[in-house]
Amino acid sequence: MAQCVQSVQELIPDSFVPCVAALCSDEAERLTRLNHLSFAELLKPFSRLTSEVHMRDPNNQLHIIKNLKIAVSNIITQPPQPGAIRKLLNDVVSGSQPAEGLVANVITAGDYDLNISATTPWFESYRETFLQSMPASDHEFLNHYLACMLVASSSEAEPVEQFSKLSQEQHRIQHNSDYSYPKWFIPNTLKYYVLLHDVSAGDEQRAESIYEEMKQKYGTQGCYLLKINSRTSNRASDEQIPDPWSQYLQKNSIQNQESYEDGPCTITSNKNSDSNLLSLDGLDNEVKDGLPNNFRAHPLQLDSSSDASNSIDGPDHVKSASSLHETKKANTGIIHGACLTLTDHDRIRQFIQEFTFRGLLPHIEKTIRQLNDQLISRKGLSRSLFSATKKWFSGSKVPEKSINELKNTSGLLYPPEAPELQIRKMADLCFLVQHYDLAYSCYHTAKKDFLNDQAMLYAAGALEMAAVSAFLQPGAPRPYPAHYMDTAIQTYRDICKNMVLAERCVLLSAEILKSQSKYSEAAALLIRLTSEDSDLRSALLLEQAAHCFINMKSPMVRKYAFHMILAGHRFSKAGQKKHALRCYCQAMQVYKGKGWSLAEDHINFTIGRQSYTLRQLDNAVSAFRHILINESKQSAAQQGAFLREYLYVYKNVSQLSPDGPLPQLPLPYINSSATRVFFGHDRRPADGEKQAATHVSLDQEYDSESSQQWRELEEQVVAVVNRGVVPSNFYPTQYCLNSYSDNSRFPLAVVEEPITVEVAFRNPLKVPLLLTDLSLLWKFQPKDISGKDNEEVKELVSGEPKMIGTEVISEFLINSEESKVARLKLFPHHIGELHILGVVYNLGTIQGCMTVDGIGSLPGCHTGKHSLSMSVRGRQDLEIQGPRLNNTKEEKTSIKYGPDRRLDPIITEEMPLLEVFFIHFPTGLLCGEIRKAYVEFVNVSKSPLTGLKVVSKRPEFFTFGGNTAVLTPLSPSASENCSAYKTVATDSTAVCTALISSASSVDFGIGIGSQPEVIPVPLPDTVLLPGASVQLPMWLRGPDEEGVHEINFLFYYESVKKQPKIRHRILRHTAVICTSRSLNVRATVCRSNSLEDEEGRGGNMLVFVDVENTNTSEAGVKEFHIVQVSSSSKHWKFQKSVNLSENKDAKLASREKGKFCFKAIRCKEKEVATQSSEKYTFADIIFGNEQIISSASPCADFFYRSLSSELKKPQAQPSVHTEKQSLEDAVRLIQKCSEVDLNIVVLWKAYVVEDSKQLILEGQHHVILRTIGKEAFSCPQKQEPPEMELLKFFRPENTTVPLRPSVEQLSNLIKTSLHYPESFNHPFHQKSLCLVPVTLLLSNCSKADVDVIVDLRHKTTSPEALEIHGSFTWLGQTQYKLQLKSQEIHSLQLKACFVHTGVYNLGTPRVFAKLSDQVTVFETSQQNSMPALIIINNV
Amino acid sequence: MNYPLYIRSAPTENELKFHYMVHTSLDVVDEKISAMGKALVDQRELYLGLLYPTEDYKVYGYVTNSKVKFVMVVDSSNTALRDNEIRSMFRKLHNSYTDVMCNPFYNPGDRIQSRAFDSMVTSMMIQVC
Repeated sequence: MAQCVQSVQELIPDSFVPCVAALCSDEAERLTRLNHLSFAELLKPFSRLTSEVHMRDPNNQLHIIKNLKIAVSNIITQPPQPGAIRKLLNDVVSGSQPAEGLVANVITAGDYDLNISATTPWFESYRETFLQSMPASDHEFLNHYLACMLVASSSEAEPVEQFSKLSQEQHRIQHNSDYSYPKWFIPNTLKYYVLLHDVSAGDEQRAESIYEEMKQKYGTQGCYLLKINSRTSNRASDEQIPDPWSQYLQKNSIQNQESYEDGPCTITSNKNSDSNLLSLDGLDNEVKDGLPNNFRAHPLQLDSSSDASNSIDGPDHVKSASSLHETKKANTGIIHGACLTLTDHDRIRQFIQEFTFRGLLPHIEKTIRQLNDQLISRKGLSRSLFSATKKWFSGSKVPEKSINELKNTSGLLYPPEAPELQIRKMADLCFLVQHYDLAYSCYHTAKKDFLNDQAMLYAAGALEMAAVSAFLQPGAPRPYPAHYMDTAIQTYRDICKNMVLAERCVLLSAEILKSQSKYSEAAALLIRLTSEDSDLRSALLLEQAAHCFINMKSPMVRKYAFHMILAGHRFSKAGQKKHALRCYCQAMQVYKGKGWSLAEDHINFTIGRQSYTLRQLDNAVSAFRHILINESKQSAAQQGAFLREYLYVYKNVSQLSPDGPLPQLPLPYINSSATRVFFGHDRRPADGEKQAATHVSLDQEYDSESSQQWRELEEQVVAVVNRGVVPSNFYPTQYCLNSYSDNSRFPLAVVEEPITVEVAFRNPLKVPLLLTDLSLLWKFQPKDISGKDNEEVKELVSGEPKMIGTEVISEFLINSEESKVARLKLFPHHIGELHILGVVYNLGTIQGCMTVDGIGSLPGCHTGKHSLSMSVRGRQDLEIQGPRLNNTKEEKTSIKYGPDRRLDPIITEEMPLLEVFFIHFPTGLLCGEIRKAYVEFVNVSKSPLTGLKVVSKRPEFFTFGGNTAVLTPLSPSASENCSAYKTVATDSTAVCTALISSASSVDFGIGIGSQPEVIPVPLPDTVLLPGASVQLPMWLRGPDEEGVHEINFLFYYESVKKQPKIRHRILRHTAVICTSRSLNVRATVCRSNSLEDEEGRGGNMLVFVDVENTNTSEAGVKEFHIVQVSSSSKHWKFQKSVNLSENKDAKLASREKGKFCFKAIRCKEKEVATQSSEKYTFADIIFGNEQIISSASPCADFFYRSLSSELKKPQAQPSVHTEKQSLEDAVRLIQKCSEVDLNIVVLWKAYVVEDSKQLILEGQHHVILRTIGKEAFSCPQKQEPPEMELLKFFRPENTTVPLRPSVEQLSNLIKTSLHYPESFNHPFHQKSLCLVPVTLLLSNCSKADVDVIVDLRHKTTSPEALEIHGSFTWLGQTQYKLQLKSQEIHSLQLKACFVHTGVYNLGTPRVFAKLSDQVTVFETSQQNSMPALIIINNV
Repeated sequence: MNYPLYIRSAPTENELKFHYMVHTSLDVVDEKISAMGKALVDQRELYLGLLYPTEDYKVYGYVTNSKVKFVMVVDSSNTALRDNEIRSMFRKLHNSYTDVMCNPFYNPGDRIQSRAFDSMVTSMMIQVC
């Protein structure tokens, strides 16, 4: 129970005060009416006595009465109508609302912090009005009239006549049986004669004389002259006089209104007032039957059916409420007491005091005494009688009771003069004058009597008052008998069916219990009285019960909340919308955010509805919003209902302010960070053979790896354009912005090119949502073409199609719980700054598709037009949070987010726009296959483009042809069956020798320092004009590894005009090529041991080439033909094919292997000298009948590209250690001599059957030979995956052991060869010693001087060697020391001496070599040449 | 604290009422726990007994040592359910809840979405009804 202004000790005496009737003459009424007050009202503010009053009780004890209050009221002969009372109570409650600025106190209970208004003024005023408007009943006398004031005016013609007339009237009312209603305490009511005198108008002397007359007639104690209206009302407003009436009269405005109207006729014709009253409240007569608990709806109360229905009949209620307000205003406009001065106020006060002291209290005192005497006389009798019967029937209580039960308990009525009632009367009187001790004992006695008689109504009344007076007894001699109250309430309610009395009982008892901190009992009491018959009462009591729960020692928060909800429900049923809303809001605090989602939804829904009916639309919207945005656990149907309600309310809101800003809609959810922005046109679909570049599109998913690749490619090409340096202000072009891209800068968009924004919607509900007229919302700041900033920055918002065109999606359906993206386009037509703010749409649901599951909506419904049930236009902003900053310390410690400028593009001037199409672009190739395709470049913009370049990580994959490219047919159709190569028919006889040509790598774009990845596209005029298109041939070579290859092309181009903002643009293309195995070529080179050729130069080589057909596809490729093998080198060239196999065109069927051997020689020195170092010599050896010019496009292109990719591989970097410089030089020299730079190109044709058509495919493989004796492969060998290594946690020791050339390398310093006759005939019988001259050729392979030691002594290390029977000896010098200059060839003449015939190995000389100018010697035995066998024959 | 971890009601049409009922009963649970006093906390009985009866339903409570509350609302016309049955049902619930908590992927405080728990509750409801 909430805190009250009054304490119980004040409340109860104030609720039960002595009642005095007032009967006025017409004239007197007119006088008071001048003040807009009736006589009773005039007295009201002064009806409390300011001083203490003394009286004597029956035992002659002095009794002090404090703060006595009397109630004066006009006589109304009709009992108050229950309907009218209900209406009055309703108005009182609805008129009392919590003050706006009321400070709610915070109650902390557990983990709840609740804002609860401690006071409930509406309840207090309800209670006050309720207690005041209690109809007088027969079983109690508390509100029966004790006295009657008879009021006449001095201005009347015959005042004394008038008084006697009034007295007769009073007597008639009291004693005539026509008037049952105004109840009088005792038959001889005190009459008090009051003469009203209007000071301003009347004659004072006359008044005095009349008063004198009255005094003589009625005695000084029984009459009074009251002078009022000391000033005229017309000069009222010049001085301010406090208006004590306002606080009393305002709340009973309706009652006043009634009394105003029937005021004049109160005295004369009371019958009139009867009909008047009836017509006023418009209630029918059935109320009269005395049963107040009828179920009739209150006139203000809304039908429960209309309340629950969707259509909210707000206006109706509002009207009535407003009319109420009007009457109130009218009331407040009236100044009460306008004719009264402060002296008049004092006079009235004086009058009341006089009346009470002289008139009322002595009368009461007398009455009590009388009653007491009567009682004492009766008591003796009844006591003895009772005790006697008790003695007689002792122990036989039970049968007596059963007999009594047969009586009609509630219908029992005592005659007015019954002795039992006299006790009660006395008790009530004592109670009224605050003599609670006496009152209690009387009530107690009366209670016993009534119970004995089984007069339950009387008994309940006595019990109730006994309990109250026991509580109010000073010093509290006995505890509050709560069980009395309980019995009373039960009796009232169950037996007497009198809810009004029960309610009074509960109100009193609850207040008393509250004062004793017995909150749970109070709550139980309050809750028990809630019933179906009165919603208002139930609501108020439940609310008080809720307050009891929260005020308990350990607050019961949840019970509080629950009862608040119950109260709110009842309030809403009683039509008290504001109170209902307040209750729900208070309960919401408990349920909010605790996961009780169903309850929360219910509360929110009710709050929304109540707010709506109260026209608090914003609150309604936010409450409904809550239901929808939280992950709802409601069923689909419920959600649909919520949504419709929400839309309905929203629609009303927007209709109220049609020009206001668009409301923010809560649905569907937008995943802002998933918003993607794409600049540019949509990709064109493939058109026949033409295949557009893939570029970037929203359909591609973000892949960090590939985007990094693209970025690198762009950096490369930009670096090339800017002479090798990437400018500092370079940022990679981003066509598609998403949450992964770098959005810290304003993106650049080009005018006239669309901007697509992909918004990710999610529907959290189980009902489908339909968005219509979905479009983007933007703001645009246009800029002058001149580039100068406009002085006044015009800001445009959406709806200006001249500047920015906006695409509208007319219907966008999101099914239940679906995530869907919408792509919305803008077409900028002007340069400037664009800010995309959000999306705007009509939110609605689909009618007819409201099936329970929500998903099973009709399929036809999607295709056709959705019948829109209801929709509201609103917006949702796109706010994207940037990435969290984490660079500086400050940023690390606090949470800061960077900007995200995804949606704020700057529209720049026109730029060229390139489109690229690929024609005849294959999807599958053999490894190494060469295919010719065409590329079409189209400039679709209005400005010319230039500087077209293409960059790819795989430049070896394609070529546009080198500078030497001859004109191949430019149109793709003409080259249908043409070879990709440039060929020359040759004479088949001259096949064995090589055809030699040469080409420079610079011509093919492979120069020093150039980036091989960046390839300029040879546009005919270097400029592509607007609308122009160019087709260029493009050769492709299947990558050497089999499998699927994704090859990224990045086309780079610039505008002819320099643009400050966008320097270049790019276009991406990803080609997917699937390659299958074709040939595997491996080659070795070794020194030829034969004598030098005619040039006399050393260094002939033999090249062995193994070609294996590794193609495994059984159907496709039939066979491979090797048509040509070409060499390409700076220093070497093929001379001829050595072993001409029988079959000339070298067929290779599946899994067949062929071997070729070629002789290679050094190019002539002078050739080498004259040519630039980048000049390569090509030598072709042909196996077919036409020569493919290997030094021309495309063969050479691919060759150079493969070469350059090979060159890219890291080479041994020169070390920085200077002290080892010489050593390393030596090492390099040594290494050099085993190096060779010979490259082999194997050109082939493959015969393929495809669709029963024979096709000839061409291709080429490259082998790069670097080291003598080492095998090289056409395709990189798969490396074994390295073993998992243990992680090393210690630092490896610096293992820069002096770089030592390997033994093998060192052994290649000197090439040795022995020249001797293969067989030698010697007549051993003639000469036992055979001497054979042998020439040992030593040729220095290195470029430095070499010291050579030749040791001819036999090694005797191996024991086997000893056993060789036919050993021989070298004659002459056994050791030679020589120095060989660079590339020098030295021949030593040796003599071998044999003693037997046989076969001997001459290869015994051991050769040691070291670099002559080196201190450190790597003296290594040189490679032994092949076993040099000699046959010695005996002749 | 006092967030619903799991709510299930057998006649689903009047769910809201049961939710309110369970929520309100938590006050009684709080009261009962605090009434028990500090000393008895350790050996206290987990089963709280009948929290409060309404006209149509009986509300029973159970609190684990970690202050996780189980509240059961049963039809008061169901006379087959005596105190002992209710007690054993709570014990069953508690065991099942412990299993849920043992799941390393369950975050204490989240709504229980375990299928095993669900089926256990379902079987219990079927058995009662």
